[in-house]
Amino acid sequence: MVTYIMKKLFALSMLAISVNSVYASDWQSILDEAKGQTVHFNAWGGAENINDYIEWAGNNIQEKYGVTLKQIKLVDTADAIGRVLAEKAAGNENDGSIDLIWLNGENFRSLKDNNFLYGPFSTTLPNYRYIDEASNKSLTLDFGTPVDGMEAPWGKAQVIFIHDTEILPNPPRSMPELLAYAKANPGRITYPEPPQFLGTTFLKQALYELIEDKELLSQPVENVDFKTVTKPLWTYLNELHPVTWRSGTTYPASSEEMIRLLDDQEIDLAFSFDTSAASVQISKGNLSDTVRSYIFDEGTISNTHFLAIPYNSTATAGAQVVANYFLSPEAQLKKQDSEVWGDLTVLSYEKLEKEQQALFDAQERGMATLTLDNLSNSIPEPHSSWVKALENEWRLRYAN
Amino acid sequence: MSLKLVNFIIVLSISVFMLIGILGIIAPAFHYLPAIGANEISLDPWKELFLAPEFISSIILTLISGVTATFLSLMIAFSVVAAFYDSKILSIFRKSLAPILAIPHAAIAIGLLFLLSPSGWLIRLFTTFERPPNWITIQDPYTLSLIFALVVKETPYLIFVILACLPQLKTDETLKVGRSMGYNVATIWQKILLPMIYPLIRLPVFIVLAFSLTVVDLALIIGPNTPSTFAVTIFRWFKDADLNERFSASAGAVFLMLFIFVIFIIWELAYRLLYFCSKKKLTTGNRSNLSQSFFQLLGSLYFFILISVILSSIILLLWSFAKRWRFPDILPSTWSFRNIERNITLLNDLSFNTLTIAISSNIIALIISLALLEAKRQQSCKKTLFDRLIYLPILLPQVGFLFGIQILFIKSGISGHFLSVIILHVFYTLPYVYLTLHSPYLAFNQNYLVQACALTHKPYKSFLQIKLAMLKAPIFSAFAIGFSVSIAQYLPTLIAGNGLINTLTTEAVTLASSGERKLVSLLALIQAFFPLIVFMLAIWLPKVWTPARLALKHYLYMRFSDSHSYTIKN
Repeated sequence: MVTYIMKKLFALSMLAISVNSVYASDWQSILDEAKGQTVHFNAWGGAENINDYIEWAGNNIQEKYGVTLKQIKLVDTADAIGRVLAEKAAGNENDGSIDLIWLNGENFRSLKDNNFLYGPFSTTLPNYRYIDEASNKSLTLDFGTPVDGMEAPWGKAQVIFIHDTEILPNPPRSMPELLAYAKANPGRITYPEPPQFLGTTFLKQALYELIEDKELLSQPVENVDFKTVTKPLWTYLNELHPVTWRSGTTYPASSEEMIRLLDDQEIDLAFSFDTSAASVQISKGNLSDTVRSYIFDEGTISNTHFLAIPYNSTATAGAQVVANYFLSPEAQLKKQDSEVWGDLTVLSYEKLEKEQQALFDAQERGMATLTLDNLSNSIPEPHSSWVKALENEWRLRYAN
Repeated sequence: MSLKLVNFIIVLSISVFMLIGILGIIAPAFHYLPAIGANEISLDPWKELFLAPEFISSIILTLISGVTATFLSLMIAFSVVAAFYDSKILSIFRKSLAPILAIPHAAIAIGLLFLLSPSGWLIRLFTTFERPPNWITIQDPYTLSLIFALVVKETPYLIFVILACLPQLKTDETLKVGRSMGYNVATIWQKILLPMIYPLIRLPVFIVLAFSLTVVDLALIIGPNTPSTFAVTIFRWFKDADLNERFSASAGAVFLMLFIFVIFIIWELAYRLLYFCSKKKLTTGNRSNLSQSFFQLLGSLYFFILISVILSSIILLLWSFAKRWRFPDILPSTWSFRNIERNITLLNDLSFNTLTIAISSNIIALIISLALLEAKRQQSCKKTLFDRLIYLPILLPQVGFLFGIQILFIKSGISGHFLSVIILHVFYTLPYVYLTLHSPYLAFNQNYLVQACALTHKPYKSFLQIKLAMLKAPIFSAFAIGFSVSIAQYLPTLIAGNGLINTLTTEAVTLASSGERKLVSLLALIQAFFPLIVFMLAIWLPKVWTPARLALKHYLYMRFSDSHSYTIKN
């Protein structure tokens, strides 16, 4: 019996070794193929610090692997989705202009459902070994859509609220408190206009806090009684809107605009999906140094963002090399530095080697950035089908 | 003969180009887009469009803002010229036109936003609020701020166009004769000059109308957003991650196109009706039925436009060098040059791309326009097919049309090259260049050329040295306008360049979404700088061209004869 197990174990370990070496040799051939390729990386380009980080990574990738990384700065990730579609329409099956896209949620579902993606590739990337899929549901379920190796995790985002301690020392810590504050201080609360993703996220956050059965949100929206389930949300918003900024006749376009309005003192509370947003803006001179960030008592919505490769990319090998580099402890550490970007790592602390752990431990946070511990209270994204349903209903009610 | 052939080829290729783009929106408007598996034609996109909650309300907003802005701009522009034609004020105004036209409209909107918003400069200057009041001064649901921004942008353009055609009308003589017959100046303008000017500027007026009805970036920045104007609504649908939204977006784009046509017809009918009704009044012989003060009152509204633009530009300048600038500070509390230092190489690259595209596309557009106009003149100025076609690039909502064209570029393999960007820029600047050149060119007194040919027997040389030389003012104006149009193009650059070719504008709009006032202000300033220079040259060069050329000739002659005599002396 023991020998049987030993044999079995031996066989298994042999298998593991051979699988590993297959991976290794596969990876080597990918590295060889990638050399000299140019990867057109379509990434939202609205933040200078993120663009700088991508440039930094590009230089390292060029040096280490001989792959050229070129960032195509998008105003909106949907533009890249549109371009893949246009290329498909033009019959461009293997000479696409996009090699790598930074995306998640709706955009990923759209590409995956239309078979516009190359892969699966992500789980076989060497640096994927630092990922602990069990640690966070959003690593394998991107807004409810199974990842299936079709996109590689890049970073983690969580909603944070931003306030100026001089103007608002005790900020509201839940949706009901927020409403009470808005009623007492008309015009000082607002949120981005859905379908801007942060605006839609605000709706999800409110819905999560206002309903009893939170499990309903993880189901496709078709399976629930949308009208009844979301009723508390609309009642809440009907009360909130008359006392919002500019009496609800208009809404900011983005988190960045909210931060600007916060600094202009038009509003008292901004929020962001970027946990270091407050620190970054303070150091840029866009917010005063009395500004701090915090999250709601019940937690805030959090998700993972990814890198995907379109099916018609001309540099799939190069794109994998880039995605793998972005997953490396080195790149993830740099990315989490709030002076650089402040985007939370997707790597599992336990899976890192000792020295790497030490580097992460030693990392300084910005003055207004919360610790990972402060951020531990997170709410998962509802199934991605909720996005459209909430947006449509919101626009039907408030946008005409 | 050869000119006819060239003409034919140009018209044919532009027509085919447009046809592809139009099919690119019409097909998906009827649910035909094989790329995402939609092969069956249906009317569902239209049903969805008409049932969309924002459809009616955003159409109404578009109608109010677009028509009001165009009408106001036209009235103010006419009044400025009529009220101040003989005075020094007009020459001051004239000098203001180039800078205002040069500043990209997105930049003006950003400046106005900060001027007018509750935390903006006006409130800081004239009130004592400790915190910004909760007022709705911008992005108001009545589109007042959008109309204001449009009027600020369009009035200078119309004044520019009116002034450009005045020399063709013998304005001074008309005024002299009119006055000698006892008419007051306002009446001469009202009864004689304005009815003559309108037909000459009808095309630019339609451009203004189409722009006001379809503008996206300006409306995004300063227009209402719940709901937004119709063009912005379609724009949002096109950008939706859900590819199925493209169908109703395409239907919306087609609808917007038809809508604009209907507005044109109504506008023209309204004009004819007005003209018909006032015909009797115009010929009563009444010497002073309109007082000069009417024009002066309306014309002085231009002062407000001027002041707004000056303040907005100062704001852009201040933000470019600001580090910290909070409410209620009137000026930044700390300053910094870091903004410029950090971005110097980026600015170099972007400027190179921007200029290459703008200059080459405009030279091409100018040559095409001249070829078409000369051919038209030879056919005794009959309305050509092209005269009708030329409207389309401006009328077609860019978001829809460009999607159709994008497929063409990818299929032909030039997507992401300078070539495709330049082609699209020619396509979008050509109407402005052609329409600006149209009336002055056809109104040219051909006898000059006939005489020159008779004297020299060198038709090509005469054409260049007599006709084009005499028309250099409108040619330079056309180039300057085309240049600024090219600089301001965002979507065509992005779609043809496939994101691989960036210009000052694509970068500015990308960052505009980040809400970073400092860098956006800097980019807007630089973006305004190039067209500004070109506009100044367009006004200044025709004046000094001939004297300078003669002076140069004289100088060279002197040099030559000097050295000649010097040689002889030795």
